[in-house]
Amino acid sequence: MKTGGRVTNWVANGLSRDVVAGVVVPGRWQGVDLAIWRSATGVLRAWKDRCPHRGMRLSHGFVRGEGLSCIYHGWTYGTDGRCRSIPAHPDLVPPAAIRAEALDCAEADGVIWVAGAGEAGPLPAVTGLVPLRSLALHALPGQIAAALPGLRLFPGGLRGVVVLGGIQTSLCLLLQELARGQTMIHALCGPQDDPVAVSRGLEDLRRSIEQGVAA
Amino acid sequence: MIPQAVQDCWYPLAMAALTGPYPGRATQLLGQPIRVFRDAAGTIRVQGDAGADLPVILRFGHVWACPGTPQRDLFTIPEADHPGRRLVDCGVVRVKCSPLRAVENFLDIAHFPFVHTDILGAEPHTEVGRYEVHIREDTDEVWATKVRFHQPQAAMSAEGGIETEYMYRVPAPTAAVLYKTCPARPGDWDVIGIFVQPLTEELCDVWPWMALYDDVTPQAALIQFQQMIFLQDRSILENQIPRLLPLDPGMEIPTQADLTSVAYRRWLKRKGLTYGAQMVAA
Repeated sequence: MKTGGRVTNWVANGLSRDVVAGVVVPGRWQGVDLAIWRSATGVLRAWKDRCPHRGMRLSHGFVRGEGLSCIYHGWTYGTDGRCRSIPAHPDLVPPAAIRAEALDCAEADGVIWVAGAGEAGPLPAVTGLVPLRSLALHALPGQIAAALPGLRLFPGGLRGVVVLGGIQTSLCLLLQELARGQTMIHALCGPQDDPVAVSRGLEDLRRSIEQGVAA
Repeated sequence: MIPQAVQDCWYPLAMAALTGPYPGRATQLLGQPIRVFRDAAGTIRVQGDAGADLPVILRFGHVWACPGTPQRDLFTIPEADHPGRRLVDCGVVRVKCSPLRAVENFLDIAHFPFVHTDILGAEPHTEVGRYEVHIREDTDEVWATKVRFHQPQAAMSAEGGIETEYMYRVPAPTAAVLYKTCPARPGDWDVIGIFVQPLTEELCDVWPWMALYDDVTPQAALIQFQQMIFLQDRSILENQIPRLLPLDPGMEIPTQADLTSVAYRRWLKRKGLTYGAQMVAA
């Protein structure tokens, strides 16, 4: 996201607490579909959403222990990305060249961030705020920004103090572009703000933005 | 531009028994609108947008047409004529994928434990042993033989796990037939086919069809079983990237278990049957 001349490759891909150990979820970074998963011991990985064997989306797969398995043929990849088992050939040691394609991922302040491999700058800081929720909108990031003139752009999204859901809140909306004109908002708010009121305020906001987009 | 070799093939378009009078079934073939109907004389006809009739064959309970000039007869399945078999039309499943990916998935056994869990396969019985693949010179078909796999419930008439033997056959670019151990009649084969109608390069209608030795299972249960299997396959087929089938090596990684798929892809490429295929690695 380009923000006031500064460029960061980090894009928020979810809240840490929503990707618990043993799950895989879809993600997206600059038009690239991702599989984001957390191993049994808590290691988080973001990979291109494609098994090199037959192109199946890895986000449809399953996590066992420290590996992510493809749902099509059960090929299993370790946290280092290397294929470590091919169930059709249990005695075969898979060649080292067979591997999932990894992007960089990091977690800070309860947010999951993804960037292109080896090209990320410093993580956008959202220190002092608490993760609230993620919600998808049928709108582009610019349309969301236009609906909230009280917020200012920063690397990763929008932030500032606004009145939402009837209360004043320190709001931070991390913006993630999805396919087909949708945007995922990962919202954080001030530690003293009423999370239920802010959450309802976000739903009202979604309705008004989507109605504006449709009109 | 669609290659002539593609246009000269036969494609399934409808179940003959369900084909009604004009306007009949309005559908698509190779991206073109097409209509299948029964005329006043009761003859099933297939017409393109301009109203011209296409060559038609009625076989295996389905209506087949050729948008170009047929170079050969539609393939046959001699086993289908054996007395005592039940022929079952299983309806249609629309899948947002390349017609070639649908055929390739049908030829694949290694996915049984993961996609058809506890039905056609189950862990830890995941190993695919060595089998044989060849091109039959006389008929120019891809064949895989001596394919063996452990299955928890290979068919409606099966009770408990059995070691099932398969043969696979690709007699046309968008059709595949399998022969599998028949639980009710050891020594005989159940025959199951999929006839794939290419609506576009990335959209197809799949017509499953069976010729079984099974006098017991109700028709509805047989169709339900086959529909369940194909809906499980659809969850895979609509989530492969890219949607087109890559014919050039490098884009995807085959293993020994994929020998049938490798032969099928080479056969398509050699014959120029590239509708639904991706030729250059992305």
